[in-house]
Amino acid sequence: MTTPDVSLTGRLEVGVNTRARKPMVPGARGKWGRFIGIIVITGIVLIPIVAVVVLSLTPSLGSSATGFTTENYAKAFTETGVLTWLTNSLTVTLATVVVAVVVAAPAGYVLSRGRNRFVSGYSLVLFIVQSLPVVTAVIPLFILFAQFGLVDNLFGVTIVYVGSTLSVATWMMAAYFDSIPITLEEAAWMDGTSVLGSFTRIVLRNSLPGILSTAIFCFLLAWNDYLIASVFLKSDTVKTLPVGLQSFFQQNQANWGLVMTVAVVMMIPPVLIFALLNRYFSVGGIGGSLAGR
Amino acid sequence: MPSQNGASFTRRGFFGVAGGVSVAAILAACSPSGAGGGGGGGSSKPLKFWNMPWGGTKFNPTDKKITLAYKPKSGLPAATYQEIQWANFTQTFSSAIASNTGPAVSSGGGTQAFQFAAQGKIAYADHLIKSWESNGLKDDFLDGLLDTMKTDKGYAAVPYNLDVRVAWYNKALMQQAGADVPTTWDEYKAVCAKLKKIGVYGFGLGSGAGSFTGSHIMTAFMINNGGGLFNKKQEPDAVTDENIEAIEFILELVKNGYSDPAAATYTSDNVQAQWKAKRFGYGWDGAGLPAGAVGDVASDLVVADPLTSPSGKKGGLYFPNNIMMYTNTPSQEGSEAFVTYYYKNMKELWTENTGIGLPPLKSIADTDEFKSNANNVKILNDWNPIFKTWAAPGGNGLFANIANTVDGTQPMLNFTQAILGGKTDAKSALTTLQSGIEGLMK
Amino acid sequence: MSTETITRGIGRARRGVGNGGAGRPVQFKPSNSNRMPGHRSRSTTLLLFALPSLILLVLLNVYPVGYAGVQSARNGDLLSAGDFVGGQNYLTVLQQPVFWHAALFTLIFTLVGVFGSWAIGLALALLLRTRIPANGLFRVLLLLPWVVPIVVSATAWNWLVATPQSPLPVIANFFGLGNPLFLADPTLAQILVCVYKVWISFPFMMMMMTSALASVDTNVYEASKVDGAGPWQTFRLITLPMISRTTYISWILMTIFCVNDFPTIFLLTGGGPVQSTQTLVVMAYVTVFQNYQTGPGVAIAFLMTLVLVIISVVLYRQIRKVNIE
Repeated sequence: MTTPDVSLTGRLEVGVNTRARKPMVPGARGKWGRFIGIIVITGIVLIPIVAVVVLSLTPSLGSSATGFTTENYAKAFTETGVLTWLTNSLTVTLATVVVAVVVAAPAGYVLSRGRNRFVSGYSLVLFIVQSLPVVTAVIPLFILFAQFGLVDNLFGVTIVYVGSTLSVATWMMAAYFDSIPITLEEAAWMDGTSVLGSFTRIVLRNSLPGILSTAIFCFLLAWNDYLIASVFLKSDTVKTLPVGLQSFFQQNQANWGLVMTVAVVMMIPPVLIFALLNRYFSVGGIGGSLAGR
Repeated sequence: MPSQNGASFTRRGFFGVAGGVSVAAILAACSPSGAGGGGGGGSSKPLKFWNMPWGGTKFNPTDKKITLAYKPKSGLPAATYQEIQWANFTQTFSSAIASNTGPAVSSGGGTQAFQFAAQGKIAYADHLIKSWESNGLKDDFLDGLLDTMKTDKGYAAVPYNLDVRVAWYNKALMQQAGADVPTTWDEYKAVCAKLKKIGVYGFGLGSGAGSFTGSHIMTAFMINNGGGLFNKKQEPDAVTDENIEAIEFILELVKNGYSDPAAATYTSDNVQAQWKAKRFGYGWDGAGLPAGAVGDVASDLVVADPLTSPSGKKGGLYFPNNIMMYTNTPSQEGSEAFVTYYYKNMKELWTENTGIGLPPLKSIADTDEFKSNANNVKILNDWNPIFKTWAAPGGNGLFANIANTVDGTQPMLNFTQAILGGKTDAKSALTTLQSGIEGLMK
Repeated sequence: MSTETITRGIGRARRGVGNGGAGRPVQFKPSNSNRMPGHRSRSTTLLLFALPSLILLVLLNVYPVGYAGVQSARNGDLLSAGDFVGGQNYLTVLQQPVFWHAALFTLIFTLVGVFGSWAIGLALALLLRTRIPANGLFRVLLLLPWVVPIVVSATAWNWLVATPQSPLPVIANFFGLGNPLFLADPTLAQILVCVYKVWISFPFMMMMMTSALASVDTNVYEASKVDGAGPWQTFRLITLPMISRTTYISWILMTIFCVNDFPTIFLLTGGGPVQSTQTLVVMAYVTVFQNYQTGPGVAIAFLMTLVLVIISVVLYRQIRKVNIE
């Protein structure tokens, strides 16, 4: 078994190798064939999304514009609350991400390092909680939160989102901690470092990919939620994008131009984040956390 | 009452356990904005008015302006305005009312008031309506409309706007097919045949995800033939000769290919797209059809004449949407004062063309602005007198069981989709419907 | 040094896969607890670590679950509690043929959703780890179905198939396939919602599989090439076993996501035509919020959760087995 070196900073220095960064399994001969293949696949997969973008650029009813137009975008940003919604969505989502990671990271550490009945019971509870359907919980949650004045404000929905991301987030964090050899911490403990110290200085420092992928999972869940937000958020000043989007659905008709425009606006932040963090986003590491309990 | 203090305490406690000092800055940005809820009396507490998006984008801003212009008499609460979205509105109202954070006055689903009244959450409007005798408001309501709100215990709500189901035709396509506007079921069938020859459907409607129009039209045809779903005792009574005849007629239309084969799953957008694509020459929809996404076809759409059924009767289905008052109010007197103000000043919602359904008041229907829309005038003149509610044929006053048995429920959708699929017969479909409704009765 | 290299290095370290290793994942076992600092202080610290999440879970779940449990044993509605009826609601629900139909379709929907999205996600992950120009861009573009709000993508899909003039029926017609009614025909509608679910879900699987594949040691492939194994054998005998743990986990998560998935079906078909595309969670929603039968509706949700937990626990044991091997 490979024993990783531990540098003075506690940072891992393993896996340095001279191999090509990307493993070339089938060889590079069919490169252009595969390129065309992936273009075709991506093209087919994206047809519904292209439709959304095209509709957002199509003039709405009664407009004098022809061809493609940005008037829906102009209208969305000047006549609707899209900027408020965007701000609210970002606030709630970022708050959820930060709190969920801050709460899930130590909990995940317990799952990863603790090995007793309590821990495996806890792991199973997380599992069951994740299985409960949200639709039946919305009304009781609202009633509960209303007693504390936590409805119709962003704080309340943030707590609910943290709660609903917590199970998966905890597993994801545990999975990454599993991949960090405990020998690093043991070395630190010998030097008199506390568990808290070794957790923050060694484990967390080496868990950037895990933290980021957990964060992105939480981001998407909070960003796209509609059900909870629609019941909890009523005032115009606290609406998030998915709720704002619904305000273009009138009784028997919908303003599709604006719906599609706001949908495109909604896609941009996650896409940007994906593009920037794509290489770190590996949910796959979760494999370890549930294993071996 | 654990209102504001409770909230801040919980918040502090939460910070404590989360131990996330660094998140304080972000969380501070989303701390409660203003009064989130909580009970507590005090007449200084404003009156919450919740309204739905009844029209187009202009509706709620206009409505809000009217609401906020309300100047209460001294001692009575002022009103706040809240728009409630249609999506998930059942959860929104139920959760708010169950937690005592609901409105004092609201609109909502057409049968909502009757449901909430059965659960003791509604302040009956009898006193309010009595007070409208002296100022002329009571007589201003369209004939028979107030009666639809009357229950054994009193008026559960006040009629607000009328959602109607009427027949529409595309005059250009009718001309092209050489068809005249039908006035009887037989004539209608002949018109459908002519339309079919030019590749156009004559029984245009939809019953897909989120669209209940199809089930409304099924019921409308039953009522047209003197039938309906409930008897005088407000019990379901679907398997009647009148209903069987009506549904057999619809099945004939479907089997003759007069109905779009995909209609069972058309959303309201799909239906509008079919009108726009000139695939529907005659069909059934609400009063707002031309205002939907029907493109250039809008100017060709005309409200048809009510049809006379083989039984010699006319009839149709409408939904008197309404405004209700709740027992959870800072002041019942305040609620009534506000509703009175609102009804005296809501005219703009129609004269400014906000897209709301038909007005409940004669004085609004008499305005030049309203009369400039010939289709709306025709609906009020020709269709309004023959409209009945879900309660037909037994009565016209709505009641709580309608909400949980026929108004957008699963048995109604199944029934409609089965009929539009054409692979059933009238009697067995109605029998299934009857047992489905019975299973949902309370 | 890139983080990716670190992860891969760790991955190898964790699995103890040496050069040309057998590819059998061996779980890294954290050392015995007594090497940690002071037993008591360690327990206290770990308890404190778990406490915030425990409090949140209890706070957010005990009340709603208890509330729903009470609802499921009563004949009330959304606002009034009603009378206690014991297990009557459960019996009523279990006796409805519709419930069993919904259960069957939930099973089909979940199987197709899990394995369909897994197969496609894995295929794309394998394709994208080969040398392809701009594969980072494709990786981001292919994630879009997961990112788009479902209310919007459902509309887009509806636009693609709903009416005879929609693009897909027109194409089908062009190829002489008649005029398929993708939403109105019960079988086609069932196929369509499954395809839609796969479309939404494969990006998640692609991400899971991409990261799992990233930690497979490439030397293993070199070795198998020397042994003369073909691509299919290499895939079946080496790649699959090495990503088996992540695969099981992704199956569990996707099973939960599929069984609990309410908006996908509700927005595309509303469960129709004639309930043919109704899954249990959609049925629970419609029963509670459209038919106002709170007790039976919540009972459906509980029965569904029960089955889900059983399936999950079975899969969960499977993972343990994989590790013990």
